[in-house]
Amino acid sequence: MNSTEAAQSIVAGLRDAGINFVATLPDINLAELLRAVEEERDFIHVPLCREEEGIGICAGAYLVGKKCAAIMQNGGFFNSNNAIVSTLLQYQIPLLLMIYFAGDVGDRTFGSTGSMTEPVLQALGIRYYVMRDSEDAPELIRRAQILAEDCRRPVALLLTKEVLGRRPALRSL
Amino acid sequence: MGAMQRFDCLKTLSRLAGDALVVSSAGAVTLEWNAARPSDGNLRVRTLGLCSSIALGMALGLPQRKIIALDGDGSLLMNLSSLATLARMKPKNLIHIVFDNEVYEASGKKKTATGEGADLVGLARAAGIQNALWAGSAAEFAQAAERALNGAALTFIGVKVGTERAAVPPYPIDEVENKYRFIRHVEKTEQMVILSTNLPASYD
Repeated sequence: MNSTEAAQSIVAGLRDAGINFVATLPDINLAELLRAVEEERDFIHVPLCREEEGIGICAGAYLVGKKCAAIMQNGGFFNSNNAIVSTLLQYQIPLLLMIYFAGDVGDRTFGSTGSMTEPVLQALGIRYYVMRDSEDAPELIRRAQILAEDCRRPVALLLTKEVLGRRPALRSL
Repeated sequence: MGAMQRFDCLKTLSRLAGDALVVSSAGAVTLEWNAARPSDGNLRVRTLGLCSSIALGMALGLPQRKIIALDGDGSLLMNLSSLATLARMKPKNLIHIVFDNEVYEASGKKKTATGEGADLVGLARAAGIQNALWAGSAAEFAQAAERALNGAALTFIGVKVGTERAAVPPYPIDEVENKYRFIRHVEKTEQMVILSTNLPASYD
């Protein structure tokens, strides 16, 4: 899959999972995905200035009946931590966190950000899955949303360059 | 310091708010609003700064309903970028009210940046919120709130208030109960289903 096809596949997965409200902040590796999100008429799309406000915006939308996803880079996930803890976890509010995994194995930049991503998710008790295979993406998104709704907590999907169609998958990863 | 008190403004607002959903910032404003208008349509915010953002999510998700954000200066200063996002999304049903007492009232009354000249209404306007104004008296506040509630435009109202706290009861419920009551209130008043559970697997 190229990045355009991968983006369409992820957006189809979000739609099939019932997502209808999406907050985003760009990363160059998310460019195709965000373009596909913008074009999806079933989504209310909120472009953010800072990721933490997106946690609040999605929490508010959830309380009035929307099913929400927030798409950001892992640096933005770090920016969002106070809101994740004292709003999402404190009130038991589900949210699908779609986090671009900068500093993943083989990335030349953001090594420290990549190194701390999984430990911070673990420390917060947030279940997460590293997405590597474009073919599996829609089904994994659907399952992650079921998990988030049923446990009323955020669930994170780490978007690698492989799943975004920006480099070929390594079967052994 | 201005002669106006926050609780007086909230009592005025409670007579005008109708069935608006109200999000209130971490701090005494939440307790005072609960005393002025007790309702399951009130949501208390615990993350400093997030009041305006939670209200924006509600306003976009439920465009037919009036949403009021009761914010503070310390809170808004922590999330100034929310003003630009509010202006960008322009929800017609959102009224953002900021009680500016120029101190972190719940954190030892240290001065905020508004006490040194930062102008929140100026910042809101510069972010792109055209209907942004200071209410300089109780009458101006009542008039601005009434116009916003009867109108259909994103509105930002700043009010300089004193640092007094009204003698009001503590907030009666915890965060999780607040969430469930709020959602059930929205379901009932909007005649919609938000929370549902699935049948056990044995029914498949």
